[in-house]
Amino acid sequence: MKRSIPIVGAGAVGPWGLGWRGRADFRSEPAPSRQLSLSHPEVLGMEVPELTEEQDAGDRRQRKLMSRAARLGAIALREALRDAEWGAVREEVGYYLGVGASGAHMEEIPSALDASLVEGAFSTAAFGERGIYACNPLFVFQLMNNFTLCHGAILEGLGGPNAAFYSRGAGTLSALEEAVAALEEGICDRVLVGGADSAHHAVTWSEFVRDGLVSDGLVPGEGAAVLALAQDAQAPEAWLQDWGIGLGNRRPEVVMVAGWSPAVAQRLAREVSAQWEVPLFFWDGGEALAATPPMAWALGLDRIREGAASVLVLTEGLDGTRIRVHLGSTP
Amino acid sequence: MRRVAITGLGVVSPFGFGAKAFFDGLISGVTAVRPIASFDASRFPVQHAGEVPQARINRAWLGRALGMDAEDSNLQRWEAGGWLRDRKLSWALLAAREAWVQAGCSEAEGEAALSLALGLEQALLEDFAPIYREGKIQWGEEPKAPLPTVRFRTPVDLGARAVRSLLGLCGRTQVHVSACAAGALAVAHGASLIRRGDSDVVLAGAADAMINPLGLGGMIRLGATSPRNAPDACRPFDRRRDGLALGEGAALFVLEAEDRALARGAKVLGFVKGWGSTQDGFRVTAPRPDGSQAAAAIRRALASAGIAPEALGYVNAHGTGTPLNDPAEARALQVALGPWGGQVPVSSIKGAVGHLMAASGALELAAGMMPFLHGSIPGTVHFTDSDPECPLNVMGPDCHQSDVEHVLSNSFGFGGQNAAVILGAP
Repeated sequence: MKRSIPIVGAGAVGPWGLGWRGRADFRSEPAPSRQLSLSHPEVLGMEVPELTEEQDAGDRRQRKLMSRAARLGAIALREALRDAEWGAVREEVGYYLGVGASGAHMEEIPSALDASLVEGAFSTAAFGERGIYACNPLFVFQLMNNFTLCHGAILEGLGGPNAAFYSRGAGTLSALEEAVAALEEGICDRVLVGGADSAHHAVTWSEFVRDGLVSDGLVPGEGAAVLALAQDAQAPEAWLQDWGIGLGNRRPEVVMVAGWSPAVAQRLAREVSAQWEVPLFFWDGGEALAATPPMAWALGLDRIREGAASVLVLTEGLDGTRIRVHLGSTP
Repeated sequence: MRRVAITGLGVVSPFGFGAKAFFDGLISGVTAVRPIASFDASRFPVQHAGEVPQARINRAWLGRALGMDAEDSNLQRWEAGGWLRDRKLSWALLAAREAWVQAGCSEAEGEAALSLALGLEQALLEDFAPIYREGKIQWGEEPKAPLPTVRFRTPVDLGARAVRSLLGLCGRTQVHVSACAAGALAVAHGASLIRRGDSDVVLAGAADAMINPLGLGGMIRLGATSPRNAPDACRPFDRRRDGLALGEGAALFVLEAEDRALARGAKVLGFVKGWGSTQDGFRVTAPRPDGSQAAAAIRRALASAGIAPEALGYVNAHGTGTPLNDPAEARALQVALGPWGGQVPVSSIKGAVGHLMAASGALELAAGMMPFLHGSIPGTVHFTDSDPECPLNVMGPDCHQSDVEHVLSNSFGFGGQNAAVILGAP
């Protein structure tokens, strides 16, 4: 039997913008992707709207080192810390994050290719002589997907236990399980957990096209969400009651379903309906990969805030793993 | 609390294939850093690395190495997808197979979880080039099924999916991507799953292969590699250290609840006793110079193992041979271990094999098994001139006989992720 874990705050940034309160009934319409406008101008999806300087992460120089996912992750992390009112002493705060693939800005690739082509073909020799110097030396920090976690941790001065898990769904559950284990084993008494990712990336999108996922209904999304969990709390926002793979047996008051495509979402809904007669809500933010589960958790949290006694958030990402997270107003 | 036994170990290293080749290489006290053979690096400023001695990988070779029919459907699929170009796929498969066989695992262990650290996707620049014209990548010209030829990068979790398929694993899979700390974190995570009762058997470890044009080029551009273009490029803790040498390979462990291992008659090679992780929370480009957060990770590992610093008989350091890392690690050891930090034998194997990046922590844990399996401590190849900035008891190039009960292995990743793991003798 799992012990319920207090959720003392959350941060989220998604197609609705910044924040999670009042977003439970969020609905969106796919719009032309700004980030894919040069490579794939036909793509419609859900994107985080332009943010103000105050809402954004770090300063301009720091943002140049960040992938889109790292930037969104840093924003959600900052908001979660604010929401939880965790002050400046953060050396013992843990941080576990589901992250996606490399998401570096594509502008560096043409520069490297321009310097490395010989008669239209990639030349290893030319790359060794000139191509590597055509890239920004700090490009590596955009490429490395652990920096989706690290940029935020550095900006916020986190020092506790941590790990980044590659996620197309289940990796974000691993992050949650490790975060809970860190609390349960007394490694830390406060921990942040979530995911950050963007499907609005030219390479990622091309892979989805080739793999047939786009024709199967995938709509690109993006965002990040982070929950703040504590070992103990007097008046938490909600409680993390249960989590794992599969539907489970715990009857919720309402269910939020997030599938990577409409067909998957409908299948999940049918499975829920076969087990319980409960109100169903559908995630409407596109497929945000590592970030879909925690963004849906954040909206589930909002439903608790609005008065629901318990919410089951059921997600299924591209790895085909059904993840359940039960949130409740009581332990 | 369940004890986490190590019952299998598989290694692919610059010394060759198998744990024996790895240990023999470390015992010899020589370096496996040599001229790069897997691609033409002659026009790169750095041409040496710790490369696994197999220049070309194809289906026939991998089939032979794995003892599989070259017509096997997995092999065909990996080749058809172009994935064999990513060398870490082969290293992961070979190390996994060796560990699995050594542990005597069979279908009864099919529920095992997989906790694997894998390096970055390999960007396949040669595939971008044919669709690059007039300053633009022509995304729309990407060939469609059935046999697309353009691949932009290999999937992050390719190695994990391949290992599951090879061994028929059906337990949970976790893919760690915490840079140079990932290998240690993957083993720690696997051990944690067993200790807390979530799994009985976990195949845990790491594979990486950055010795390719973009991987090497990126590290050169970052200024992380030693400018010395020679086999002694990496000199951990040495006064003349000036950067790392890249390495590649894999190390995987079969971790098992001790009672289960004993019940099935498996030989226990050692134990994973404790682990800890922290974040520097400092800078993107440099470790925290006072080593305080790395020290905190070591203290957590000691607490997790339930031992005092003096119980450590050997420290396998992260020891990258870079100007900033080694002094910070020396301070971390002194802060975490107190006076024992200056006395405990310390070595880094990166002078011998290079920096395996995501796989470094796992390979260094394998090196940490040497005292238990061979009664000796690996030396620090190319360490000849001690640096007052690193006041540690650094072992010289030769291997040293030693009877050790506990080993600490440190791993510190780009971005400030710190991991420490403690192994115990069987």
